[in-house]
Amino acid sequence: MKKLLCLAIALMLALTAIGALAETTDLPRNETLYFAGQQWGSVNSWNIIGTNQNNSMAIAGNAGGYRTLMFETLYMYNFLNGELIGLLANDDYAWNEDMTQLTLTIKDAAKWSDGTPVTAADVQRTFDIGVEIGNGTGTGLKGYIESIEADGNKVIINAKLNDEGKPVNPLKIMDFLTGTPIAQAAWIDTVVERNNGDAVSILNDAGEDVVWSGPYTKYFADDQKVVLIRDDNYWGQDESMWGKLPVPKYIAHAIYADNPAGENALKAGEVDVCQQFIGNVQNLWLEDGLPISTFYEEAPYGVCLTMPTAWYNFNIPVLAENPALRKAIAMAVDYDTIIANAMTNQSPSFSDVPRSLMNPTEGEQALYDHEAVADLQWAGMDIDGANALLDEAGLVDTDNDGWREYNGEKISLNAVCPNGWTDWQASMEVVAAAGKNIGIEITTLYPEWDIYQTVFTNPSQTDYAIFMWSPDAAAPSNPWQRVNQFMGGEFVGVENNWSGNWGQYVNPEADELLKKIPLTTDAEELKALYTELTKIYLTEVPSFSLMYRPSLFHAVNESVWTNFPAGDDGRNIPPADCTDGYGIRALYELELVEG
Amino acid sequence: MKNTLRQVFHSSKFLVGFIIFVAILLTMFIYPLINPGNPLEMIGVGTFARPGTYVSLYDAAKTPTETLRLADADDKRLAKQLSDEDRVAMVEWFSATGVDIEGLDISDTDALLELWRANYDPAVKPKGMTQAKRNYYKRLDAAIKEVGAADTLIIADTGEGGALEKQGAITKTDYVNVGQVANVKILPLGTDNFGRDVLKELVSAAGTSIVIGLLAGLVATLIGLSLGLLSGYVGGICDDIIMFITNIFTVIPGFVLLILISYSIGQEQRGAAVVALVIGLTSWTWTCRSVRSQVISLRNRDHVNLSKLSGHSLFRIILTDILPYIASYVVMAFILQVSSGILAEAQLSLLGLGPKTTEVPTLGLMMNWAMLYSAHTNGSWWAYFPVILTITLISFSLNLMNTGLDQVFNPTLRD
Repeated sequence: MKKLLCLAIALMLALTAIGALAETTDLPRNETLYFAGQQWGSVNSWNIIGTNQNNSMAIAGNAGGYRTLMFETLYMYNFLNGELIGLLANDDYAWNEDMTQLTLTIKDAAKWSDGTPVTAADVQRTFDIGVEIGNGTGTGLKGYIESIEADGNKVIINAKLNDEGKPVNPLKIMDFLTGTPIAQAAWIDTVVERNNGDAVSILNDAGEDVVWSGPYTKYFADDQKVVLIRDDNYWGQDESMWGKLPVPKYIAHAIYADNPAGENALKAGEVDVCQQFIGNVQNLWLEDGLPISTFYEEAPYGVCLTMPTAWYNFNIPVLAENPALRKAIAMAVDYDTIIANAMTNQSPSFSDVPRSLMNPTEGEQALYDHEAVADLQWAGMDIDGANALLDEAGLVDTDNDGWREYNGEKISLNAVCPNGWTDWQASMEVVAAAGKNIGIEITTLYPEWDIYQTVFTNPSQTDYAIFMWSPDAAAPSNPWQRVNQFMGGEFVGVENNWSGNWGQYVNPEADELLKKIPLTTDAEELKALYTELTKIYLTEVPSFSLMYRPSLFHAVNESVWTNFPAGDDGRNIPPADCTDGYGIRALYELELVEG
Repeated sequence: MKNTLRQVFHSSKFLVGFIIFVAILLTMFIYPLINPGNPLEMIGVGTFARPGTYVSLYDAAKTPTETLRLADADDKRLAKQLSDEDRVAMVEWFSATGVDIEGLDISDTDALLELWRANYDPAVKPKGMTQAKRNYYKRLDAAIKEVGAADTLIIADTGEGGALEKQGAITKTDYVNVGQVANVKILPLGTDNFGRDVLKELVSAAGTSIVIGLLAGLVATLIGLSLGLLSGYVGGICDDIIMFITNIFTVIPGFVLLILISYSIGQEQRGAAVVALVIGLTSWTWTCRSVRSQVISLRNRDHVNLSKLSGHSLFRIILTDILPYIASYVVMAFILQVSSGILAEAQLSLLGLGPKTTEVPTLGLMMNWAMLYSAHTNGSWWAYFPVILTITLISFSLNLMNTGLDQVFNPTLRD
């Protein structure tokens, strides 16, 4: 009897094990596109109007455009040329004369997963509920959008006006078009009803019954992987949109412990699209001979859209009171080493693309007068220049201990970034080395991320003197948005500040110029404003960028799939991991590798 | 004393350990004289340069040349640019694009290249060919162009008016004597992720790690010894209290304690000396326990009792009547403490809890950075393997010395 029981138990265990295996290894390889570097940890919710979903494959707003696998935006952003391409909406958005009102129409073909049409009322409800419960859309945009009205299939967006009767910022309204996923009004009503209208519970609703409009929907999610499955009734196969379904039937993302794990999976061909920084990525094909490629075959391999930046803390008097010190440190830093080391040359150098407030794309570079600021720019490693600047400013070594003093006290600063962020840590080491060369003591400090994030977002912190963070990458509102993050007074003193100006720099003159830009349409005038701001930035040095960097990394392994976007293929699809903004177009053009 | 030393050096184990250790110490002192400078200087721009001899191309181009006609020079040059796999891949391209390869012999370089030049077009996209493969052919094409390049390389400089002016030419048979080139840098162990000379850093790091080990060992031995002596000799309530504390420290795993303390003092305060102190403070317990048991067996010996009767003070008795009898044991314990101190630093640094990084190199920090930059997965063995070897050698030599001493001083092991 005992033996029989043991046998039965063993059999049961074996069956469960087989069952569990079958469940997760079911996906046919040649119908599945595998990702890495997007999803960390298990999914919290599918609630598109909620917060804290930790659901990167379905719900993620990236700097390169919104991820429209499951939920769709009105327009798709193409960061290669700044174009807006209609998704739920037709390509007919138009401003009225004084830019106080934007109108657009919803595509007739657009349908929800339950078969009902997507309407202008859904757009209106999406915005209204956002303001009501204070989700990302609501808090981010209520300062710029007064209201959204629905008139048949026409959407009318009314801009918020300032005291002078002008729109506060039309650029942010463009961000709404590409950055806000639209939710179904009827579903929103259901969620509101079951939570009795309580904002907090609506935000935390799991949203398992969510209605979507995109080409994929949830299939499987646990702490090991997340899988989306193609919705074969997707409205986008209509001729007015894509005219077909996306090629892979499944979108799968295994949850890796860390970057090296994801990188190894890419090398092994278990991952097709990898959104991770891979040092010396060219060795994967040059030395290892793997079928891996990036958007560009040569350095910088990707499209650099942002600049990780070292911010000076203006709560620390010696930094706030000495522009010469700020500039001297920035001049002495060896950026070539940072770029070669931290980015393994996946960034243009500051001699190729001189520093300014712009990212290295042609469009942004054309926005300021290079000649006018050439005298103010620096390419780094200028120890003599930095020393001369400090001597001139009276920051000298008075007690001959090898370190310079200010008001009789040794200048001693720290350079801080989160522990484990290796490329940033390497950069901070280089900044510290620069300090040594010019007699300023700089020591590095790598607190854990949990601590780091509470300190650097605190507007009155004095713990970190020089610390790292990246401004926004690309969106219709850039570069204005980024310039605002570098110098905008609106962020000063804001508690729990994730938005910008982390060093608490105040400059009323820059604020004035910043206010003018969103309302300026004349190209020459715009250029003059940006040039003026660049001059202020390079003279005052409230922060200094250390490198250029893509907002998304995009390395693909072509063991199973091919025809991924590439820089020279003439298709103009941005390297946005086949998922974000106009980058999703790649999914419709993928091909299986033959043989 | 002389006799003891002779006995000690007679032990072959001790001698081998001693020689290895002294060799490491000598390298630490001598190497910086040969190759002076800051060991943390980032000389290389970029990560992980391979070990080898680096010759300045700029200087080499301006060094007087000798003409050498070497028979296999062309073959070597060709093999470097066009491997056998490349030849096979070229044939694959021909078949993918439908080129007639009837009667083509792939070892016939000229025929192969001619066919390639006539047919390769980077704009053609053979069906089913991946981007990675097409990129490969582009690189191959560039390499083939090199093969067909002219026999001389022209060196030119911008002259007046901005036009290029010929300054010199290099032919395929030109050779320079490495000894005559102004700048030749030998990097026996390449560079690390920061572009630092690994050998120079390693020598300096070994020094720091030994100092950390010595300091940690000293602290641990001092604490363990004094508490053990007190507890064993005085006994009674004093013994109870000291043993109570020691037991508490013994049951908490030392390394966990080490991690917690290092984490809580914060990185800013963690200099090399502080880390050594922390290691010492967490590893004294076993020294204390064994010293105590030795003292207990000593304290009722006749000479100690005699000393007591003579009215000698407690400290005098401990210092003159007890300590000399356990001195050899303490020295051995100290050596082991040094060895485990060095290992503890390496372990801590590997977890990112070692000394802060900009000031001095240590063996653990070198491994930590190598790991952070995935040196183990990208094949840069020179960034971590020599470090592991050094740690192993140091601990091995110390342990060997300890075993040798044991053989000399431990009556039960004596031959």
